[in-house]
Amino acid sequence: MIASLRRASSRAPPVSPVAFHAPLFHDLVAGLDATERHVVLDLGAASTAMLALLGRSRCRVEIADLAHFGGIDQLNKTELGPAFANAADSILPKQLPGDAIDLVFCWDLPNYLTLNALSGLMNAIGQRARPGALAHALIYYSEHDMREHPGRLVPTEDGGLIDYSNTHAAIAAPRYSPEDLGKSMGRFVLDRARLLSNGMQEFLFRF
Amino acid sequence: MFERVKKGDDTTESPDTNRTESEKTFGSLRSKVTGRGGDVAVIGRSIQINGDLRGDEDLRIEGDVSGTVELRNSVLTIGKEGKVKAGVYAKAIAVDGETKGDLYATERVSVHVNARVQGNIIAPKVSIEEGAHFKGSIEMDPAAIEKALGKTTASSTVKSVAQKKAGNVADTKAEPKSTVKDASASVNPPAKTA
Repeated sequence: MIASLRRASSRAPPVSPVAFHAPLFHDLVAGLDATERHVVLDLGAASTAMLALLGRSRCRVEIADLAHFGGIDQLNKTELGPAFANAADSILPKQLPGDAIDLVFCWDLPNYLTLNALSGLMNAIGQRARPGALAHALIYYSEHDMREHPGRLVPTEDGGLIDYSNTHAAIAAPRYSPEDLGKSMGRFVLDRARLLSNGMQEFLFRF
Repeated sequence: MFERVKKGDDTTESPDTNRTESEKTFGSLRSKVTGRGGDVAVIGRSIQINGDLRGDEDLRIEGDVSGTVELRNSVLTIGKEGKVKAGVYAKAIAVDGETKGDLYATERVSVHVNARVQGNIIAPKVSIEEGAHFKGSIEMDPAAIEKALGKTTASSTVKSVAQKKAGNVADTKAEPKSTVKDASASVNPPAKTA
């Protein structure tokens, strides 16, 4: 395990469970064309609010729930190569033939992956994505600590996000820089970034 | 195959003295449950079934079922103790337990809190409660849903006819016509925190 994912002393959660505005996320979802079919890969947990939001357009939503189904540990423990490709295939939902991914919601999961694991995962996702696909991610940036487990981030009615996770323990945040991410998102390249009021940095990558 | 039990009033197991030999033998299949709105057959928690289940009445599964479950005109409930490893086809599906396999419903799929579902969901209406665990895909494109449900119905009809010819289907039901009008997910927005 890399040093940046080491356990920090147990303390109050660095991010309190309040709604925060995520403009790139808002623009991304609001910009979905309701008349076109979109394939969305959600690396987080399923939520009714997210389904309702995506249900306004013609979507197929693929949900991986990396945190609950063991995907994070599996990716962090597997070395890049054929074994990693197999692991990535097993944790990602099966793809329909001809249904390439248009949108990827990474939420805060990249913080819990090593850069190698993130790179391998995004390469695997890239093989399923169509040119121009977008990937959204939230990175702990200002704060030195983050929750021990990934958040359960859910969109709110007014276009914000709220974290419903109930974990209280904290670990050191890797605080990946845009340069780190730029080298670890496979063929997804940085498109836009915003520093949020809660200290997280919001990123949009384009394939 | 399963005992019908009345929903709507609390009922208990009937005494053994009133049971036939067959009822005693399949007692676990015939445990009574309560609910609202009609009769429900129950597969009890000690029952394991490998193979194809087909029927035309509402069913609640609390045991282990592997194979295929087809209740095209009826409602399937997978209870908290239920474990289903099967492709499931029903009018409506509610999950409280565990499923592995694709869920097809002509009306609705509801995944309740603490349920664990792995597979694809194809239904006009889908709801997943916060706290449920789901891995797979959810089709929300009305055209794709109609196509998928139509194909499923057609392929199943062919299979049923072939099996009937082979003489290995005891209970063949008329296939319902799929009607898909609304592909929106039901909305239960989370409460806001100040």
